[in-house]
Amino acid sequence: MSTATQGTVNVQAEEAVEEVEGKQEGGRLARLWMQHYDLVILPVIILLLLLLLFLYISTRDLDTIEERVLAADNVAGLLRQHLWLAFLSTVLVLVIAVPLGIALSRRGARKAQGPVLAVGGFAQALPPFGVLLLMAFWLDFGVTTAVIGLTLAALLPVLRNTVIGLQQVDQSLIEAARGMGMSARQTLFRVEIPLAVPVIVAGLRVALVLNVGTATLASYIGAGGLGELVQQALRLNRINVLLVAGGIIAALALLIDWLAGVVERVVVSRSG
Amino acid sequence: MSETTDQPVVETPEGAGKSDMIVLEGVEKIYPGSDAPAVSQLDMAIPQGEIVMLIGPSGCGKTTTLKMINRLIEPTAGRILLDGKDVTHVNGDQLRREIGYVIQQGGLFPHFSIADNIGVVPKMLGWDKQRIRARADELLHLVGLEPSTFRDRYPRQLSGGQQQRVGVARALAADPPVMLMDEPFGAIDPITRDRLQDEFLDIQRTVGKTIAFVTHDLQEAVKLGDKIAVFATGKLEQYDDPDTILTRPANDFVSDFVGGGAAVRRLSLVELAHLELHPIETDEKAADSRNGVAVAEVDGSGKPVSWRHLPGGDAAAVPLVTVPLSGTVYDAVDVMLDGSASLVAVVDEEGRAQGVLHWNDLVGGLRTRKGHA
Amino acid sequence: MNYLDYLTSNAQQIVFLTQAHFLVVLIAVGLGSAISVALGLAVSTGEPDPRRFSFDWFAAGVREGGLVFTAALLTVPSLALYALFLPFTGLGVTTAIIVLTVYTLYTVLRNTVAGLTTVDRAVLESARGLGYGRMRRLLTIQLPLAWPVILNGIRVTTLISISIAVVGAVVQGPGLGILLLNGISRIGAANSFYQVLTGTLFCLIVAAVFEIFFAIVQRLTIPRGIRV
Repeated sequence: MSTATQGTVNVQAEEAVEEVEGKQEGGRLARLWMQHYDLVILPVIILLLLLLLFLYISTRDLDTIEERVLAADNVAGLLRQHLWLAFLSTVLVLVIAVPLGIALSRRGARKAQGPVLAVGGFAQALPPFGVLLLMAFWLDFGVTTAVIGLTLAALLPVLRNTVIGLQQVDQSLIEAARGMGMSARQTLFRVEIPLAVPVIVAGLRVALVLNVGTATLASYIGAGGLGELVQQALRLNRINVLLVAGGIIAALALLIDWLAGVVERVVVSRSG
Repeated sequence: MSETTDQPVVETPEGAGKSDMIVLEGVEKIYPGSDAPAVSQLDMAIPQGEIVMLIGPSGCGKTTTLKMINRLIEPTAGRILLDGKDVTHVNGDQLRREIGYVIQQGGLFPHFSIADNIGVVPKMLGWDKQRIRARADELLHLVGLEPSTFRDRYPRQLSGGQQQRVGVARALAADPPVMLMDEPFGAIDPITRDRLQDEFLDIQRTVGKTIAFVTHDLQEAVKLGDKIAVFATGKLEQYDDPDTILTRPANDFVSDFVGGGAAVRRLSLVELAHLELHPIETDEKAADSRNGVAVAEVDGSGKPVSWRHLPGGDAAAVPLVTVPLSGTVYDAVDVMLDGSASLVAVVDEEGRAQGVLHWNDLVGGLRTRKGHA
Repeated sequence: MNYLDYLTSNAQQIVFLTQAHFLVVLIAVGLGSAISVALGLAVSTGEPDPRRFSFDWFAAGVREGGLVFTAALLTVPSLALYALFLPFTGLGVTTAIIVLTVYTLYTVLRNTVAGLTTVDRAVLESARGLGYGRMRRLLTIQLPLAWPVILNGIRVTTLISISIAVVGAVVQGPGLGILLLNGISRIGAANSFYQVLTGTLFCLIVAAVFEIFFAIVQRLTIPRGIRV
């Protein structure tokens, strides 16, 4: 064999590895930074923008109406309502959509996947606002209705995501598991679901973002939330309130998506 | 163009009757982020009309060398001459339009029809539509694809072998004097590959291009190459005709690389036409002159079918196997082993018997060639 | 009064609002796609050389930054974005279109970048080997081959835009959202439920029209050799 050449190649390969490792030793932090710098940049930008907004508002002379609407306890109360709405509906969406998605990935139900994906794709055009309002007509105004509406509106997108994610689980791994004598159930719990964890977390993220967004519209059916601020600003024709409301909602959505993104990255890096 | 790098002496290849089409002078490539050169101080000359096979283990710089010729990879140092002209600093795109290029899997444009794929370079060179069309048909014909069937098809409607034929046709489109081929038959099944290689040699006989051909398959290198260049980690270890590479490897690396079985590989280098045939008679002509001449029965079209008489042997017990005169010792040995025959009838293109070869003749033929080489 | 009666007696208004909705989405998606595809083409150059600073570095920066930024914009709830633009661009159609355009950017940009960069390397290399320059490669090889992916991005973003455009009614943007706001503000009054129902369902009709439109565009613009 051509030991001489192979030797040289190996040495080169090792040198290359050492070079990389050397850089890594230069700082685990540096490597983390290189991989995840985007995770740091976004919150910094959000906080800067919020600060800017705050500075702008503090230079303004607010009239009494504006002061009342933008009072810390008013905003905090609406924020709490908002988070509660988003949280409840997200839990509901996950509890319904993920098992349903898994059920659809079973052999017997696979034929239903195509229609579900097609309908789910088309249903993106169905406005969550409309769904929410229709629920109010059907049930009543209030938080319960809002949670049901939010759940319904986010259900199909998350279901669609789950189904697509499970489809992408490497079929050869499943075959290997079956080949080693695992039962269908064992394969599902030991191979498919662990591999699909990133998919489920991605679904969580989608549900959260959708629900935080749609929850802004819950104020139109009397369920409160930060949408209330926008509605009041429009009704009272107060630009300052509008800016603050928009800024806070945007920052909240971005921060929650960011948090979900961090969770997603941790989970994905753990599950390989 | 004043090069400050010290110019190494360019080796003139022995018996250089033809002019050199491609000349590499002190060519070097160091990839960014790497200290060791991928190709270092390479001097090489490829004579006009020859096929030079670049071979070596992966990472040896053979592909880098090939791609430096059309400057897909820019050399870090050195000079590249094409037909005596320094092309190291000319416009790369213009240069590449004058050099045929074939890669693995063909690299056909999936959204172009076959005819459009072949017409890519002529179109860039500003040929008129009529001429491009005629050229595409001509080339499809040359590579053995019926133009009326294939012209308007799309690449994905073709098999791998057919795509590769189109790839060759596309490279030939503007009739470039030089062709570069990067493992063109690498991803093709062995049977089709063998046929493509034969066709490729046929085509080369008509077009007579200067070809640099990267392969990792020694069998392919021996079969196709007028010369073989063996590379090891960026260095040219030996550059010679196939026979010399096989019989007299320049160093341990080449001899390791060529490995065992070199003698068997050489079988395909010796053409039967160069051997002396024993006479053969067919029954029509000389039924009675049975002294020392093999006599074969022929069928209606004059093809030998069985032995009637063999000098010093039982004609009935020996099956008659045939090999075309255009074949090599490899082919002869193949049919003999296959048919358990100790001799073989050599036939011409029409299948008529031309002579007989015995086992000893073949072995002798190898020996003489070695003596000559 | 049943639903059919409502539809017939208000046909004129409903048709008008549906058309307006369609147009707002069409304009926003057209604008957003033009911006995203142009940007995607401009920044979809090769891998930057780690040793040398070149245009590739700038392009890669704009590409990654652009993707992160537009993805973040997509996360912002529509009500907030309408609220934030309102003080600058005023009530009405301008704000509605600008905000909607912003939402279309990410999906089209992502698909453009993905489509252009996933073109078979062998095809690109042979194009280079045959003497194709950078521009020619981009426009005659990469773009046509990436087009199905880009077009699909535009399709998806259109569907999303249809549902987002509804919220535009809060800044007095035109479209079916007006029916929703009318309905909810007059809850209990005659036809208020029908208004909300119509505003919601007719979005699906707009979507269906766009789907047919895209099916035709696909048929006409995707080269025959790569049509599925």
